[in-house]
Amino acid sequence: MPCTTAMAKQLIDTYVAELPPTVQKAVHQSTATTTEKRYQLLGDDFTDSDALRKLAGSIRQHTLEHLDTYLAQAEESLTARGAKVHYAVTADDACRAVTEILLSAGITKVVKSKSMVTEEIHLNDYLANHGIESVESDLGEYIVQIDGDHPSHIVRPIIHKTRGDIARSFEREGLGDYNDDPETITRRARKFMRGKYLEAGAGITGANFVTADTGRLVLVTNEGNSRFCLAPAKVHIALVGIEKVVPSDADLAVLLNLLGRSATGQQLTVYTEFINGPRRHDRPSGPEQMHVVFVDNRRTEVLASDCKEILRCIRCGACLNVCPVYRQASGHAYRSVYPGPVGAVLSPLLAGDKFKELADLPKASSLCGACNEVCPVDIPIPDLLLRLRRRAHEEHVPSPGTPPMAGFALLGSHPLIWRSAMTFGAAKDYLPLDKMPVPYLGSWLKTRTLPKWRGGKFRTWMKSRHGRNGGNGK
Amino acid sequence: MINLATRPTSKRVQLMATCLCDAFYDDVAKATVEVLEHAGCEVVFPENQTCCGQPAFNCGQWPAARTVMRHTAQVFAGDEPIIVPSGSCAAMMFHGATLEFEGEKDRAAIEQVGGRTWELGDFLVNGLGIKEWPGEFHARIAFHRACHTRGTASGPAVMQLLESIKGLRVLPFGEAEQCCGFGGTFSVSFPNVSTAMGELKLEHVEAVDPDYLVSGDMSCLMHLSGLAEREHRPIKTLHFAQILRDALHHRHGQATH
Amino acid sequence: MTAREKVFSGIKSALAPLPEREARPAVPHGVADPQWLAGEADNVALFKKRAKVAGTLCFDTPGGCLSWLYEQQAKTVYLPEALASLDAKFAEFVQLTHDYTRGRVDEIDAALTLAHGAIAETGTIILTDESTPDRLAALAPWTHIAVVRKDTIHRSVADALAAMPDDPNIIWVTGPSKTADVEGILIQGVHGPGVQGCLLV
Repeated sequence: MPCTTAMAKQLIDTYVAELPPTVQKAVHQSTATTTEKRYQLLGDDFTDSDALRKLAGSIRQHTLEHLDTYLAQAEESLTARGAKVHYAVTADDACRAVTEILLSAGITKVVKSKSMVTEEIHLNDYLANHGIESVESDLGEYIVQIDGDHPSHIVRPIIHKTRGDIARSFEREGLGDYNDDPETITRRARKFMRGKYLEAGAGITGANFVTADTGRLVLVTNEGNSRFCLAPAKVHIALVGIEKVVPSDADLAVLLNLLGRSATGQQLTVYTEFINGPRRHDRPSGPEQMHVVFVDNRRTEVLASDCKEILRCIRCGACLNVCPVYRQASGHAYRSVYPGPVGAVLSPLLAGDKFKELADLPKASSLCGACNEVCPVDIPIPDLLLRLRRRAHEEHVPSPGTPPMAGFALLGSHPLIWRSAMTFGAAKDYLPLDKMPVPYLGSWLKTRTLPKWRGGKFRTWMKSRHGRNGGNGK
Repeated sequence: MINLATRPTSKRVQLMATCLCDAFYDDVAKATVEVLEHAGCEVVFPENQTCCGQPAFNCGQWPAARTVMRHTAQVFAGDEPIIVPSGSCAAMMFHGATLEFEGEKDRAAIEQVGGRTWELGDFLVNGLGIKEWPGEFHARIAFHRACHTRGTASGPAVMQLLESIKGLRVLPFGEAEQCCGFGGTFSVSFPNVSTAMGELKLEHVEAVDPDYLVSGDMSCLMHLSGLAEREHRPIKTLHFAQILRDALHHRHGQATH
Repeated sequence: MTAREKVFSGIKSALAPLPEREARPAVPHGVADPQWLAGEADNVALFKKRAKVAGTLCFDTPGGCLSWLYEQQAKTVYLPEALASLDAKFAEFVQLTHDYTRGRVDEIDAALTLAHGAIAETGTIILTDESTPDRLAALAPWTHIAVVRKDTIHRSVADALAAMPDDPNIIWVTGPSKTADVEGILIQGVHGPGVQGCLLV
């Protein structure tokens, strides 16, 4: 039953009340199933998967705390193998760099493989504004693109859509008459996308990891679309967050083993690609040029903050899948590219001076810690949420529904006042609380009863035993 | 970071009753005392205790939270174990407080207190080495592991004790690892999400039809029983300390509302 | 300042205040091996078992592979130069082609290509530009069959990573192309092969 008290104005809470039950059910079912698969596979395969998560976390944290060294090394490795490395400070810089590469090669059509950083910098809009057609090739991302929608999950972008929604979109785009059979939808996308791959001048990808010692960009997909983006095209452009570096190939043994299991409950995703240069001259296929654009876009600010651990994230989506709030709210409720627990930390940090606009996200958590428990790189997400709540409070961001705590601090540090409050609190049993304008209580009582007040009873009982055990000091 | 492995295990203990037991659940605090005494402990109750300060901490109002925590640390001075019948308050003492006092001059003093704090079940099993609980309690229960005991030894410890009691059966239920939706002030600032989470929990619990829904945290149970009562769901709740105590007396539990 | 200088100075000033930095953890070889791996004696047998789990068809002989293709009514089959030794056998039953050109992408029903190696732990096939020069041939046809020499099968993911070849394009293939984007329903053959096979030689 939606809560309508004056204080229920947290945007995510309102969103949950308005989310169609069909979407909520679909999101819940899919996330719960994936969580269960992940749990089974990790349990079957590892005696101590927690130790492995902690090792992976340590690899990532070590890399972040030596990022200057490893990023320079990755650049050197890539350059030595014939790739061209670019740097972009802002989202705009990154989009501009991509556009310049494309226009100087005379390319006006590109295919894209799924990449969160390109979502973050809104690359497709930028390219469209510069006359470049950019087609998303991941099935889910393609549907998001033709619908002018936004992904609602890091790994499953259309978790919020039904087959009927998709069939209508395909019909509208001229991909055949209405047909909501998932296999037919997939075949139609296959056929359509082939034409796009073959006519594209460039393939744009992200990267899941970059190894510093060999410069390998690691790309994981299940559909094979990133492979297809890099077969016929002449130019490969990879946009990579600067935090994606790992020291060496050997570290990938830990990270890849955790990524597939955490993301989709697979040992490995179907395609794991390692790319560290353009094709060699004597080879018949593959891009002749490889460009890697390392994107900062406020990552150095995050690195300087007390939430730098969030940069360990390998975008597996396990925290979304297990999160009870995400399961109720779905991804759009987070109003940003990164939803769920990771998004609740990362999105306000990446917002820069617009922190206040997203400062409610870290509050949308019961701090249950399930996200930390499943995180393959052991990010202490609840601690980071708490630090961001402190920052919001220090920056005087209003927080609807959150009681002020000055009175609580007074009570909690003055035992005499505390004890009398315990005794007088009994008054609440005689007052019609649900009819009184006490907003926090009103919000509680809308769906819950309060137990009977028994303040001080235990203290009296304990005192009465004083003679018996002689142990009530202080 | 506090090393939980080096906490004291002496049998003279300080009881932190928690604000919820102080205000609503006196029987849970009483049961905790009786259980500890049965285990051979001498229980000291520092009368000036108030709260661990978690509500302010979770709202981001850390100066207010520190005021309360400083008071609490003073009240619980000494070197005895501090026993809490709540995984959430215990985690505030040994984890939340270290975060809250980052960069503060008195962090070490606060961590000394956190480094003596045990959740009740963890103390009984891993502090005192009790592996089985005597007595009888004839009931089928669903055990809700409170979220703040994730990553600690509390969940398995309580399960071990409960499963050792004659007549008691612990029933598995769906999505047991999921949060109940309480979350402190979250329950009032995000009432729709909180309620939906609680309803899901109750549905899974109801599906296995237990005699009692049991937890080690009265905060979860206050939310769940409040929701159950408002929705006329026939679910009775108990803290595991009440079961341990009642088992000693071969008495069937007195449900808490 | 160039963009590069700005990024690096941002990183350096972010890290400067850290009192100490996280040490590089030891990553012992095989630390992330599944616990059951030690109990598996034979790489080839393990590869077959895991390939099946991943949805990859395994053929033990060229004849087995050929009769399967025949049953599937594959008409046009691509064979690269590197697999010329199979030409005579295959030419009896299917139309063979040695060039893989863009224009004929949809005419070719199946392609056989040479793999660089494989991974037993995951049932993965390893392709490189060196072993499989035509990227499209191993990707575009509905059926792709990689020819894997048994002595090139690595035991584990960690072993394969320790022996990465010097090639700009290394692809690990673990099963057919698939998606679960539409309502979580698994569909095979999205962009890449709907049937992924492996001929062990």
